[in-house]
Order: sequence, then structure tokens, then C-alpha cells
Amino acid sequence: MTDVDVQARLAALREQYGRRLRDDLQTMMAQTRELSEHQTAVKADSLETLRQGLHRMAGSAGTFGYAALSQDAREMEVWLQTLIEGSSQPTLQMLTALHDRLSNSYRNLERMQIAGMTEPDDSHPLASGERAIRVAVLADGDTGELIRSLSGFGYECRDLDAREIGADWRPDIAIVDTAKVEYDVWKPAVGAIPEAALIVLSAAGDFETRLDAVRNGAQGFFMHPVDVPSLEHRLRYLINLPQQDPYRVLIVDDDIELAEHFRLTLKQAGIESRVISDPRDVLIGLRDIVPDLVLIDINMPGCSGPELARIIRFDDDWLKIPLIYLSAESNVHRQAQALAQAGDDFLVKPIGDMALVSAVTARAQRSRQLSMALARDGLTGLIKHPAIKELIELEVARSQRTQAGACVVMIDIDRFKSINDTYGHGTGDYVIRLLANLLRQRLRRVDHVGRYGGEEFVAVLPSCQLENARETIERIRISFSQLECVAADEVFHATFSAGVASTREWPNAEALLEAADKAMYEAKQAGRNQTRIATP
Amino acid sequence: MKPLQRILHVEDDISIQEVTKLALEVVGGLEITSCDDGQAAIARAHEWQPDLVLLDVMMPGIDGPTTLAKLREQPSTQSIPVVFMTAKVQPSEIEHYLSIGALDVLIKPFDPMTLAEQLRKIWEHSHD
Repeated sequence: MTDVDVQARLAALREQYGRRLRDDLQTMMAQTRELSEHQTAVKADSLETLRQGLHRMAGSAGTFGYAALSQDAREMEVWLQTLIEGSSQPTLQMLTALHDRLSNSYRNLERMQIAGMTEPDDSHPLASGERAIRVAVLADGDTGELIRSLSGFGYECRDLDAREIGADWRPDIAIVDTAKVEYDVWKPAVGAIPEAALIVLSAAGDFETRLDAVRNGAQGFFMHPVDVPSLEHRLRYLINLPQQDPYRVLIVDDDIELAEHFRLTLKQAGIESRVISDPRDVLIGLRDIVPDLVLIDINMPGCSGPELARIIRFDDDWLKIPLIYLSAESNVHRQAQALAQAGDDFLVKPIGDMALVSAVTARAQRSRQLSMALARDGLTGLIKHPAIKELIELEVARSQRTQAGACVVMIDIDRFKSINDTYGHGTGDYVIRLLANLLRQRLRRVDHVGRYGGEEFVAVLPSCQLENARETIERIRISFSQLECVAADEVFHATFSAGVASTREWPNAEALLEAADKAMYEAKQAGRNQTRIATP
Repeated sequence: MKPLQRILHVEDDISIQEVTKLALEVVGGLEITSCDDGQAAIARAHEWQPDLVLLDVMMPGIDGPTTLAKLREQPSTQSIPVVFMTAKVQPSEIEHYLSIGALDVLIKPFDPMTLAEQLRKIWEHSHD
């Protein structure tokens, strides 16, 4: 059994364990609720059962990559132990606190599992679950070239009979050919996999057909004959849609209590925010958290909201961030005056919690989509050079704060010029896209991949040790070298060379990139198709 | 020195049983038999004569230390080395397990890729 097989089996075990973990936490939450209802007569037995459950979790969760959860369980266990040893009756307050803590762990776990990642724990191989994006095609067996083409891009594709969908192999994306499968057949099939994004292929392209697709939840629509590169582009867009990071909001308001209330409300909705009560600190706040959106109180002493907005807009870096005024001003005329100076929109105080969250989410989402579109390379959909450099700086800063090392990897396709010269630029572009896809799929969702230059890529792996980074890149390198590249009627193989550097040895972004680049160059010198680690 | 070959693993958590099996059998090339509780482990150790028992400390029914004591009582198992595995990390607890006759104590969570290697080191060290 190879190392890759072991990793795959570990990943499968981890997935299975993750499901169990959710069940176990729910059971414990139910037990705790039960205890609070009968708190006058809590038996030592029931506490002991809970304690044993927590003990087991403390011991096993870390092995499967859930280190923080393991620590949480351990603390709760110790707390219960003290209670049991003191043979004291837990108060309602204690039980409620325990329940809150359990449900907090549950939420964190859920969030992590939705994001498709374990905690950024670099010390355990189980933490880097890697699997290809799964695409199910429902076309009544008549998928033509579609499956072969998409498989070439590294997707795991299956031609599914509508009846067998969703049993053990759950796709991330479902492509339905409405020209070949009846509505009554595909609709319930797709209903069985609500988590999968839906793409509709259709023979007709009129407005009514498109509206129908939208109403059935389609997130992509293509007419026959399907243009595979565009379809693949859409798949990539859909895969990128799940948020990697929570939205970040900067709140500028001199009313500290109100601002703090906003912050907590947003936090409950999973949105991170920072409160600045003195407008003078706004530039520091912006640099610190790089927000997706800024909320500005319109009336502040010393500097009004619109003045502050104009100061922010002086800086090119912040041109694309929406600036939203928070104001008691309900006079539309005066709102318009403020907007004429700078700023994008108004939220009128008092504002309900729900309204605040939905207003902020909608605008932050749009803002992030736009900045992603601007920052992404047209050919590969990867992050462009300047944006990836910013990300590296962010990760370097973060790794210094958290003490968790991050790695940067430089990747360069070998003898790319000769690929272009031999097979033409179209094939060269195809090879670039092939590698871009492979990198995106094989790296964790927390990792960033950018296109650095022509045939050069850079990956940023947060919370990752040098050796783990090297192993991951090596696996990708081997897979890439085995992929068949098709040019006209010829099949050839492409390879890449890579250099890896860690923030542990190079504490600033510039030096880190340079070190990774130098290591990559050494890999080239040593004969290409290999990975080198940068050593000081 | 005889190389380490047969491990009896005693653990009530099925997920940990599976990952340990993978870690020792597939990654480490060892032979492994798993038991869910101390009572079963005592009988199995007698029949199968493992080189080493890897024993979870806290289990429902009889716990790790009691299982160890019972293994020491029957002549057929009294000299089989026992390594404890525990999520508890108080130094005093580790010392306690060593004082009642454990060969060593491994801390959970463990890394499945290096578990076998850790056990081999303990094994070799005990034969130095």
C-alpha cells in the first residue's frame, strides 16, 4: 500500500469520524438539556456518562485533526470531574453553561466541516484531506465527450442514472441535460443532493427556458452544443463560491456601546468586525483587517462621516471597498448630499439586528465577488500577481501573530517555451489551465494559489510545516507529470519544478518569495521535475 | 533481540481502534488484534500471546490499571509488556502508570503515521 493510499484511507476514516463527532456532540447536548430539566435530581451516573463521552472525545478528536475540539472536550471533562468528585449537585446555571459550550463546539465543528477543512493543524497528516471535485452528469447515458473532457481537467466525473444519485457518492456539482432527461426524473434526483450546485444544459435558449432553470435552482445554464471551456470556467466559479474566510467589517462609530452591539450582532452571524471609535484610527484599522466593507457613523465629533469617507478614498487601495453610512438621518435629500461627497449607501438607525446582518452580508458578498473578479487571472481563474503578494503579506503577519508557520511555494512549468513552440500557444494555455486546476483541487481550501507570471505559479499554505508542504507539492508534482496532455493527435506529458520556503526561516514576504524562487531555480538546475526546500 | 511483531490493542472507541489498526498494520507492518474492553483483553492475551499490549487507560468496565493488574496475576500473561495510552497528560499520572508496571505511556492524540515507530522505539529501548 502506497503512502497515497494510506492518506486516502486516513481521510476516509477522518470523514467518518467527523460525522460521528457531530452525532456525539448532539447526544451530549441532549443529555445536558435533559439534566437541566431534572436538575433537582441529577444522578452521579448521568454526569459520569457525560464525562466519559467527553474523555473519549478529548482523546480521539486530536488524532483526526480536530485539536481545538479535543482541548475543549478535555476542559469540560476536567470541570465535570471536579463536580463528580465533590459530589455536589450542578446548578441550572452550570448546566446551561455546559450546554452552551457543547453547542459552541458543535457550531465550530459544523462550520469547519462546511468549509471542507479541519482545523489548521499542520502536525497531523489527517488534516490535509484532499479529494477531487465530484461532478455528476445526468444525460441518460448520452454524455458524449463531456465526461472525458472534464476528467481531463482533473474533475471526478460520473455519468449517473437519475435513480442512483446521492447514495454513497455525493457530487459537488450536478450537470443535467434537460434535452435528454425528463423533468419528472431529474427534478427529484437533484432534490436528493441539495448541497450540489446545479447546471442545466438545454436545447433551447429562450428567456422562458432560462427563467425555468433559475426557478429550479440552476447556477449555470448552457445551450447545446456545449462549449466545454466555458462550462469548465463556470464549474470553477461555483467551486470557489463557498466562502473561505468570514466577511470582515470595520465599524467607525464614536458611540462605543452601539458599535459594540453591532460587532456582537455581526459576530453571531459569523462576520468578523473591528470597532474604531476615533476616526483618526481608521487608516490603521483598514490596514489591520483589510475589510470587505466599512460602516461609518455619519455624525462624529471632529470629523464627519462623509469627510472620513473622502479620506479613505484618497488611497487607491481602498477604492473598491463599499463605505456605508450609519445614520439617524432619514431625510432623503440630506442622504443624497452625503452620498454625493463619497460613500455608497445608507443604513438608517435604529436598525434591527436581522436587517443589519442581511444588509452587511449582501454588500460584503458583492464586494468580495468584485474584488475576486478583479484580482483573478482570466486564463486560469487564479489570483493575479499583485493580489497574491498581498495575501502573502497577510499570511506572514498572521503566522507571526499565531506562531503557526506558513509556507510559500514557487512552481514553474518545465520547458514551457518548447511546449509552446512545438504544439502552439493554445496547447500552452491548456497546460497552464490543467496545472491551475490541479493545484486548486489538491490544495486545502485555506490555501491560496496565484498565477505569478507566464508559466509560473505561487501557492501560500497557512499553518503548514515545511515538510508537509513539500509532501503535498510532491504528490501534486507526480500527479501532474502523469496527466496526459492532448495536442491535435499527439499525447505528451508536462512537468514542473518547485521551491518551498517557510515563514519560520524568512519572516518577511519579500525574502520568503525570493527564497522559494531560489529553491525552485535549484530544482531546475538539478534536472527539473522536482521539489526543493529553501535552506538559509 | 526479537523484533516487535504482535500487538494487542485494547480500546473502547471504535474510531481509534480503526485508525490504530491502520497505523500499526498498514503503516507499521505489525500484526494487530483489537479488543473493546479489559475483560476480553485478558482472555485474548492468554490465547494469542502478543509481544506487547497497547492499553487504553479509561474504559467502561474494568479500566487500564485494573486490566494490567489482572494480566500480572495470570502466569501466561504476567511478563507481557504493557504500554498505556491516555488523553491525560499530568506528569504525576504518567509516573503513577509507570510505577504500577507500565513499560511506557503514550499520549493521545497521536500521529497515525509515526505510532508504529514510537512503539518500536519503546520496544528496542526496553531491550537495551
